[in-house]
Amino acid sequence: MHSRFYLSLLLISGLLVISYLGLTAYHAVMPEWKYYQAEYKDLVVKNAKDDATRKRAMAMTLGFKQVYLKDLKREDRCINCHAGVDNPLMEGAKVPFKKHSGNYLVNHPVDKFGCTVCHDGQSFATNEKEAHGKGHETHWDYPILPLKYVQSSCAQCHDFNMLAKNGGEKVAKGEELFREKGCKGCHKIDGVGGDIGKALDGVGNQPIAYFPMKHVIGERTVFNWLKQHFVDPRALVAESAMKVKLAAGEDDLLTTYALSLKSEEMPKKYRRINYANPPKYDGEALYKMYCSACHEDGDKTIYDEVFKRTVPAIKNPSLLRTMNDANMDVIVKEGRAGTQMTAWKSSAAGLSDEQIKEIIGYLALKRPAEQHEPFGLAAFTGDVKHGKEVYEVNCSVCHGKDAKGGENLLGISLRSPVVQKKIDTELLAVTIADGRAGTSMPPFIKDSEVLTKQDVADVVAFIKEFPSAAK
Amino acid sequence: MRSEDVQEKDEKVSRRDFLTISALATGALALLGIVAGVFRFFKSDASYEEARSFKIGKPENFPVGTFRNIADKKVFIVSDDAGVYAISSVCTHLGCLVYETDTGFQCPCHGSKYNQVGKVISGPAPRGLPWYEITQDVDGSLVVDSSREVPAGTKNRFS
Ligand code: FES
Repeated sequence: MHSRFYLSLLLISGLLVISYLGLTAYHAVMPEWKYYQAEYKDLVVKNAKDDATRKRAMAMTLGFKQVYLKDLKREDRCINCHAGVDNPLMEGAKVPFKKHSGNYLVNHPVDKFGCTVCHDGQSFATNEKEAHGKGHETHWDYPILPLKYVQSSCAQCHDFNMLAKNGGEKVAKGEELFREKGCKGCHKIDGVGGDIGKALDGVGNQPIAYFPMKHVIGERTVFNWLKQHFVDPRALVAESAMKVKLAAGEDDLLTTYALSLKSEEMPKKYRRINYANPPKYDGEALYKMYCSACHEDGDKTIYDEVFKRTVPAIKNPSLLRTMNDANMDVIVKEGRAGTQMTAWKSSAAGLSDEQIKEIIGYLALKRPAEQHEPFGLAAFTGDVKHGKEVYEVNCSVCHGKDAKGGENLLGISLRSPVVQKKIDTELLAVTIADGRAGTSMPPFIKDSEVLTKQDVADVVAFIKEFPSAAK
Repeated sequence: MRSEDVQEKDEKVSRRDFLTISALATGALALLGIVAGVFRFFKSDASYEEARSFKIGKPENFPVGTFRNIADKKVFIVSDDAGVYAISSVCTHLGCLVYETDTGFQCPCHGSKYNQVGKVISGPAPRGLPWYEITQDVDGSLVVDSSREVPAGTKNRFS
């Protein structure tokens, strides 16, 4: 009886194994791409304009294909299904048989470039789902790029001037926006830029796990994250200090540009960028790139909702009259500790001395011809004790009791190293006496006569005492 | 009565035999299938090397009189009255790349000389430069397959 039981067991399991093998064999003989190739063959036969082509099409063999790209470190297998990508007969055919649009393939032949170098997706896969790399289950960080972002790939090899005129308009426009919106005021690229935001080097090919994807709507891809982050940064990253004022469509352009920031360089023989002549920007362009994100156009003092403090108007003629280029040079290079103003010198935020000079030159265009009247502080001896009283009555309302400025106060911190060490006392005295038109700083002598010259000298002495007096 | 007996006995035996035979047969078949499947993995569909056949463009790019050296593919494409043909530019001696001369081809390394159809004229080269098959793809462009040699002198006209 037993032997009968075991025999039946053997029979059933044997049959199961055989049917499983049969299925596997069938799958190996007829993989997904083979159906596409068969359909492609039919299409070419149908579309053939002459007998010779038809004959060649009939003789086509179905078989596994790939483009081996040694330098790009990939084997692209897309052509197994996208078989007509460089066949002019497939101009009007449906996807995946369609010929590639435009004339990109003239200069980028498939056997030299493959497909994934521009479109992303998984180069080794042999079925649609895995090749396109969409969805969490494919475990692929670089899913096929939506066509609206594909131009990000052009910037791997081409410079933006060339792209702006030759089919890379979107990524070139994105790069321009990136400069004009002042993104580098907060973000470093190649070591140059502010430090309020994250450095953006290589952000375009970071893995998905690099981004906080929790609140992304729709599929969790890098491009979706970038786009939604451009639309509403705080929806994705609650503590973000990023400002965005984007017109419709600009989010997509900036996303395209951000995707082009890849950490890996293309092999030399593919690159067409001319590193010998990096673009040079004038003072105005540099101001936009590095300053405008916080100072906007620089004409008005702004209360910044995110920073919870005022951002001074640095193109204000009244300020420029009291400050000479050397004063400004110090502030730009050293920054203002305790505020969001970073040190822009080459060893910190990475601007060259020359670029800083360009920016100051641009700001100085707004400097009035007439100089401020000298205060002549040297003639007075300041009385710190009286200065303290004057301070508490007149200054603490805006600069704070401890003179640190801060949340909801209009005035700047007077304890910052810049005020304490870099700005000379004469300039402080002039500012107090004349005020700063266009900001909340009123004149205390000029027109108003609230204080006497001696009062001002006393307050200046008091302010200069801070580092030792307080704390 | 007798015959019935026999029949019954026969049937019983044959049924058991059938089960035994078929069970063993399926088992063996399944095993065989698995073993065959394992062997399938020794053969790959794709190789990690550059494709030996490559497109060189439309026939109209190779009018009569064309002589082109496609250096990165190591092949000369020539077109004359009789048709287009592809000659390897790899010297058959030790593999240097030959260059074109008035009388044919010349190897810079050990002085092998070939005539215009790639036949050895002098030097250490053991055999002539191979000719490769040229076919036409469905998109109209010519395809050279350097894994398929054709007899020297094979020229084809394409349109
Ligand atoms: S390799 Fe050409 S002659 Fe030796």
